Amino acid sequence: MAMALKLIPHLIAWFGIVLIMLRGFSGRRSAVLLAGIFGFVIGVAGTLILYRSYPGSITFGVVKSTLGISFILLWGSSVFAIYRSTGRGKDTLRGERLISASSTACAVSCLASIVAGAVCACKLSSFATGGAIATVSLLLMLVSCCALAYAALAFEKRLPEPFRVSPAGMLAIVTALLLFSASSILRLDLFSPLSMKVMKGVHDFVHQFMESVLFPDHLFVRSYIWKSIGLLFSKEVGFWGGLIIWFTPAVLIVTAIAIQRLPSVAHIRQGAERRLQSAAAIRERRHRLVIPVLSVVFFAAAAYQSSFPSVEYWDPKPLPVTANQAGEIIIPKKGDIDLEDGKLHKYLFKQGEREARFFVLLSPTGELTVDLDACAICKPDGYGQAEGSVICYYCKTLIPLETVGKPGGCNPVPIAFSVKSESVVIDGTTLINSWGATVQATTRVKEGGK
Amino acid sequence: MNRRRWLIHLVLRALAYRKGRTLLLLAVLAMASSLATALGIVSSSMEKRVAEEVRKYGANLVIFPESARLDIGSGGLNFGVVSEPAYLQQSIVEDALIKSELKAEVSFHLRGALHLKDADIMVEGVNFNDIKRLFPWWQLKGNWPAAGETVIGNDLASRMKLKTGDIVELGGGNKMRLRISGIVASGGEEDGLLFVALPELQQTLDLGGKISLVRLMVTAGGNTLKTSASDLQKLLPAAKVTEVRQTARTSEGLLAKVKLLMFMVTAVVLVSAGSSVAGTMSTTVLERSREIGLMKAMGGTRWEVMLIFCGEATLLGVLGAIAGYVFGSVIAQFITKTVFSASADIIPWFAGISLGVSLFLALLGSVGPMISVFKLDPVRSLRGE
Amino acid sequence: MSSIIIETSGLTRNYGDICALKPLDLVVPEGEWLTVMGHSGSGKSTFMNLVGGLDRPSAGSLRVGGKDLLAFTEDGLARFRREFVGIIFQQHHLVPYLTAVENVMLAQYFHSVPDEAEARSALERVGLGHRLKNRPGELSGGEQQRVCIARAIINSPKLLLGDEPTGNLDHKSTVMVMELLKELRAEEKFTVIMVTHNQEVAGWGDRTIYLDDGMLVREERKVEA
Repeated sequence: MAMALKLIPHLIAWFGIVLIMLRGFSGRRSAVLLAGIFGFVIGVAGTLILYRSYPGSITFGVVKSTLGISFILLWGSSVFAIYRSTGRGKDTLRGERLISASSTACAVSCLASIVAGAVCACKLSSFATGGAIATVSLLLMLVSCCALAYAALAFEKRLPEPFRVSPAGMLAIVTALLLFSASSILRLDLFSPLSMKVMKGVHDFVHQFMESVLFPDHLFVRSYIWKSIGLLFSKEVGFWGGLIIWFTPAVLIVTAIAIQRLPSVAHIRQGAERRLQSAAAIRERRHRLVIPVLSVVFFAAAAYQSSFPSVEYWDPKPLPVTANQAGEIIIPKKGDIDLEDGKLHKYLFKQGEREARFFVLLSPTGELTVDLDACAICKPDGYGQAEGSVICYYCKTLIPLETVGKPGGCNPVPIAFSVKSESVVIDGTTLINSWGATVQATTRVKEGGK
Repeated sequence: MNRRRWLIHLVLRALAYRKGRTLLLLAVLAMASSLATALGIVSSSMEKRVAEEVRKYGANLVIFPESARLDIGSGGLNFGVVSEPAYLQQSIVEDALIKSELKAEVSFHLRGALHLKDADIMVEGVNFNDIKRLFPWWQLKGNWPAAGETVIGNDLASRMKLKTGDIVELGGGNKMRLRISGIVASGGEEDGLLFVALPELQQTLDLGGKISLVRLMVTAGGNTLKTSASDLQKLLPAAKVTEVRQTARTSEGLLAKVKLLMFMVTAVVLVSAGSSVAGTMSTTVLERSREIGLMKAMGGTRWEVMLIFCGEATLLGVLGAIAGYVFGSVIAQFITKTVFSASADIIPWFAGISLGVSLFLALLGSVGPMISVFKLDPVRSLRGE
Repeated sequence: MSSIIIETSGLTRNYGDICALKPLDLVVPEGEWLTVMGHSGSGKSTFMNLVGGLDRPSAGSLRVGGKDLLAFTEDGLARFRREFVGIIFQQHHLVPYLTAVENVMLAQYFHSVPDEAEARSALERVGLGHRLKNRPGELSGGEQQRVCIARAIINSPKLLLGDEPTGNLDHKSTVMVMELLKELRAEEKFTVIMVTHNQEVAGWGDRTIYLDDGMLVREERKVEA
């Protein structure tokens, strides 16, 4: 049951979400539980309906945007929490009453469950071969999630009383759990696109800056400055920048709770009593820290899953090919390897000292495309194929199979080719030159965009 | 003052009170972790050094055609006889090497007999760049050959009375005119050969793309030489891949044996260190039983009192680890300098190993004492007899 | 009408075959100073340990401060002790590597949070304001016992137990310690149970009970003059 194994992050996330909801809104347990299960079913059903009616990218886009919105909400609430805990914002009474209303509890629980359900449904649909999802697996998942919800109810009753969760903490852990479960799905993952956007943003910014401010003049700028500027172009910038953006809200919430001032005990006269209250307050604050710290852990787990996905990329070792007398590379469409089986096939071509890597792929529209195993922006780490898209190893961008073959962005650089008598014919020299130009461009970019 | 700071303060005071015992424990822990660190660093540096030493012995794998038994030797070790010539296809071997992903230095050789003046001599076609890497012990008087030049072994040179700068004409098949650019002394059978560039010889003998022998120097890597050889053999069914036993086996075997020895020594030292720690901690607990009873009488739960002692053990472990890492690195440097005349690398993550060893010993040694702390009856210990 | 702080019924403690305390029924009202007298081996220390939650009775019931001590786990008893009971021993039992202030703070640490200012003022209250930073080794017997008193009452216990606290002291120190206890009791209003075999010390209490061979043999009440 490999499928069951793959669902584990989602099941953990669902269990955690229900548990937190029950603990956070204690006193309305049954209402919250029912709202949760209801929301989950709606989420699953809604996503599957969307998936059937519209192409996959739209469904995934919708769910991804929802996750993005919740992350931004978390950012907002974390900034608010820090602001409040430094003692400035005072009018929180309105907010408190809103939070403790019963309708809020159900609404929040419902919303969170809808998203959780949507994510699970997306995972199911990625198992589906050819668009049809086995009803059995769907029912199994729904049943197991209901069972988990009741298990969470039983577990929550056993949890010691002192563990409480603040509203900000609840938002943090729910978002963390949702992102954790989403990051195991390639197309829903937020962390890699985030770090890639950061990298591209910094790249563009520095590029513009260099061009507009500094003239490309060796005399003024020393080489070590170019080296450090080159650093800004690497994918590390994206990674660390993305990491900072990723973790900051949860860390802010932890800090907000940690620096919160303890209730004053100076009014108690008897020393022992005063100390008891003080100790109790410290202990209570520590308990409130548990959930936000856990959310940091889950954020880290999500980032880890995103960086080391358990998806196996189809990435065949490049086969060496040679050019014939006329300098053309001929690859038969159906020989040892069937070029038209929808998977990418990589080749390595050497001409003297120079070499080039390229691959041949049949796109879903039925056309063959030949592209370099590198793109115009990133280092030529190559491409892999998984789950209906092609991924650039360097920047982890997903390129849908339909757009492979079109130039631009992180798409692999297309190569002109012709089909003669059931074989693909590629001009060797063009290939080598194209590769050289692309690789040179990306290496130059690393050295400072000159 | 909050509770955590007070706990640290208490632990420090307790350790400072019994300076002698603290220092003893620190010394034991430092010694154990420094030994583990030193031997770990030495053994990981050794792998690199041994790989470099192996290079000096030259090729460790040979590929030759199944049907032939050739003169195989390397630097003075000869076994085997020449029989009928058989050849390997150079391109097939190259493909197989790419497929196997072996990291190796390769050199291709083609042997043939050619006529010089009035004698038949063995000529070997090689790529001279590869030769420089695989046969570092060759001593060349003169220069490496350019196009149209050749290098001759000193036995052959003295036999045929040739010297650097002479022009030789080789017959048999197509003729070759070559200038001797240098004389080579290898100490082995190569001294009786004439060396020309491989493509030229292939052309002369009309054996385009063929070779008689491939020598490989597989740089010591993840797989053992044996597995590399068998992997390569599977890719070359028409050829035979063998190890040059002497050097390969000995160096690998030696390395494994030395590692085992170091591991056993470390294990013995760790065991004795652990028992020493356990003994010292037990006596400490015995001595402090009144203190423990007092803490329990004051209202400390069993876990809280144990936490104090765990804190002591942990602090000792951490301090011992730091000292151990520093000493261990110094010792490792000393060992590698004297044994290998090289310097060891400074490996930062061995600090983690040192910490692990030290903490493990400290906490393991205190398991027994902790249990008696846990079980201690305050009434009995406070009876004040 | 004062409430009852200790109530025992059939309280027994056996060590194997030896019966250290035979079934004892006793009621102690809050705020009383009870002296327990007897020869060594009469079970007085056993009684004190049981009442203070340091030991578990073999049989019978024991209620202290309204709480049933038999229902507590060992850690629960520790938590009960830290808030409710202060103990002074004959042997002082001060931690040798901590100063006087730190010894008091140790009791605070196990109770809740250490507070140096409070510890300092407690020591000043017992007359050791000038000896705060001294280790036990540098203090006289009387001073050590006073530190113990400060440590015992720092957490405002309702019950103060003393196991022959003046046994090792000379006469002058004994009087000083007993005076101090009387003052503190008048201020803080805790109950005192003092175990001793010294007749003079016994005279300080409101009520004296005599134990012999684990049994309560006599009870005397101090006559207010």
